[in-house]
Amino acid sequence: MAYCIQCGVKLEERARECPLCQTPVILPPGMERGDSEPLFPQPLPEKGTEGINKTSKGIIELILSLLVVSEITIALTMWFSGNMAYSFIPLFSTAMAALVIAMALVAKHTYVAQATIHTILVSIYLLGIDSIDNRFNWSLIVVGALVLLWISAVFTTTKKAKAHPVLTTLLLMASILGYIVMINLLVAGSLTWFVPVALPTAGVFFLGVALFFLMFLTRKRSRIPLADLVFFNLIVLFLTFTALDIFLTHYRMGLWRLNWSLSLFSAAMVLTILLVGVTVSRRLRRYFTSQNRHS
Amino acid sequence: MGSDTTNRMIRAQSYAPEGFIALDNSALIYPPTEAKYNANTFRISMDLKQEIIPQILELALHNTLERCSYAKVSLHKGFFWYYLSPNHKSPVLHEEGSYPSARISFKDNNGYLLKVLYSKHRIALECFHALTDGSGALVYLKMIVSEYCRIADISDVSFSGALDFKERPDPQEFSDPFQHFYDKNIPGSPSTGAAYHRKGSGGYDDRVKVISAMVDARTLRERCRERGYTVTVYLSSVLTMVLQQFQKEEVPQQKKRKPIKLSVPMNLRNIFHFETMRNFTLFAVPGIEPALGEYTFEEILKKIYLDMSLSQDPKKIRSQIKRNVGGERHILMRFAPTAIKNPLFKLLSNSLGDDLYSAIISNLGYVKVPEELESSVSRMDFYLCPGQINKVSLAVVGFKDKVVINFSSFFNTDTSLERMFCRFLVEDGIPVEVSTNRTPEYKE
Repeated sequence: MAYCIQCGVKLEERARECPLCQTPVILPPGMERGDSEPLFPQPLPEKGTEGINKTSKGIIELILSLLVVSEITIALTMWFSGNMAYSFIPLFSTAMAALVIAMALVAKHTYVAQATIHTILVSIYLLGIDSIDNRFNWSLIVVGALVLLWISAVFTTTKKAKAHPVLTTLLLMASILGYIVMINLLVAGSLTWFVPVALPTAGVFFLGVALFFLMFLTRKRSRIPLADLVFFNLIVLFLTFTALDIFLTHYRMGLWRLNWSLSLFSAAMVLTILLVGVTVSRRLRRYFTSQNRHS
Repeated sequence: MGSDTTNRMIRAQSYAPEGFIALDNSALIYPPTEAKYNANTFRISMDLKQEIIPQILELALHNTLERCSYAKVSLHKGFFWYYLSPNHKSPVLHEEGSYPSARISFKDNNGYLLKVLYSKHRIALECFHALTDGSGALVYLKMIVSEYCRIADISDVSFSGALDFKERPDPQEFSDPFQHFYDKNIPGSPSTGAAYHRKGSGGYDDRVKVISAMVDARTLRERCRERGYTVTVYLSSVLTMVLQQFQKEEVPQQKKRKPIKLSVPMNLRNIFHFETMRNFTLFAVPGIEPALGEYTFEEILKKIYLDMSLSQDPKKIRSQIKRNVGGERHILMRFAPTAIKNPLFKLLSNSLGDDLYSAIISNLGYVKVPEELESSVSRMDFYLCPGQINKVSLAVVGFKDKVVINFSSFFNTDTSLERMFCRFLVEDGIPVEVSTNRTPEYKE
């Protein structure tokens, strides 16, 4: 028989600590712990039960009830007005809206889970409303863009992607190329401009990105200054645009020369010289930053 | 009984025809709001010194349900309301688990709203609140135990307040008392504002963690008598005092402190002298306003006593009944399908219930054990299920020379409310003996 020295309450004979304040029960030498019958014969399970709480259940039930009412109302309205043939889009849109809200509540409240579910549901919705004439017209392009967005903005944040950065980068590059192939196939019916224009332009873009990453990785300081990032973006983008112009002009006219990107290229050169100057010359950098403030 | 009352009773009976039994007014909220963290159940149990024989207990349960045929029902979802209908399946006995007042799986219980559990020495009755309240369930438990003792040759006695097995059921036993006392000519009582809710620390899940505090009944009564208050007022005041301390730490700015209100069920059978086996409970909501300043224990006792006394005024209770039954009889409520009403009940039940009080404390009162059984009964317990807003509930029951105060909690590690409550009793000269189902106790 023991008493808690903190709370002053009498404890069960088998108690090893006070359930109120967790103070351990220390028995004097020679005294043995008793073996009283526990309050409940089974120990507590490891965790609680599955299920959703009252509020979430209420919201889901309300959505379902309102969905049924809306669907019946829409169907009857379309039927009485003689527009039953056009009822698919309103009926389907209402059902999808209900599904989106319900899934948002039921699914795990994490960025990856929610973004994945919403990407899938929006894709189904777009494919659904596009398939009204039994074929896909525009929805595949939009869905492709959504998939690309998911790979770049959602998948890359997962633990799996972070564990394999090289594979993830390759997957990202492959999906960008795959999406361009898909657009070419959907628009022209076969690969027309992909090999002569898109592939070399993408090559320039990836090469530029790879070179700059290499440059940043070999740096001693881990922090990358904002000016360098702007500089990097400008260079890669201007190079890509220039490459696009060259390959497009060659594809359309058979000539290797710059067309519309000439003015862009000139502007880029001026900006590049300025940024190189800022990066290289401390005096110039001070002129734009602390020098001005101090004076 | 006058002719007016007789007419009312006929009306109340016709409201519950055989085969399609309408839920009583206060039961309406329980089936639609049943969910995780909202089991809407409670448990009463009695421990005997003799070992429990399940076959005899099964027979005792069968005989009790034969006598109280209105408990041989299952719950169904109708187009407009949930309803009860006779259940012809045989009742199921369950082995005692690891915690009380869990959600009842009606499927595993053959549809019954009563769940009987047993362990080596315990007979426990868990009840879904749609069937009856604590006092009603206590009658069922008394009947099961007395029938068990009779068949097991322990003793042939009956508890006071239990129904007679030899008598035929009185129609009043299962008439809806709220319809009986409804008067449309009085105004409904206004609802109150939101109360303080303790945040607590650490995580929580839906396993009901119990800390059971057993105190000596005589010492407790003496302390209450010294101050001139009842046990319910005293224990409610201790709980209020503890909650005041919590809020003081959580909200340093006095004027931002919310009212601390308790939900204390009142057994209306004692007030209206109307015996029923259905729900006949309403809640008194005594409390304090810490925004006005800190209360001493004496001030809290006085305030709780006054609030509870005012709540027990039959006229005020009738006004509450008018509000509740009036809501049920509103044309929109009557003709709205369950599919619409159910989610609305779920979404609105917090603002009409749990939000309005800071904790629930239910005192079942003193259960008189027949003299012949005094040597056999070793323990009694009463447990409420906690909620998601108020995660700790208190249930009190007295038997023989003991009073058991059971704290049911969803918190995994936070036992500070229980600790402060028990320490207060100890400091007030009331020795407390605690036991628990919290895991460290079971570690070898």
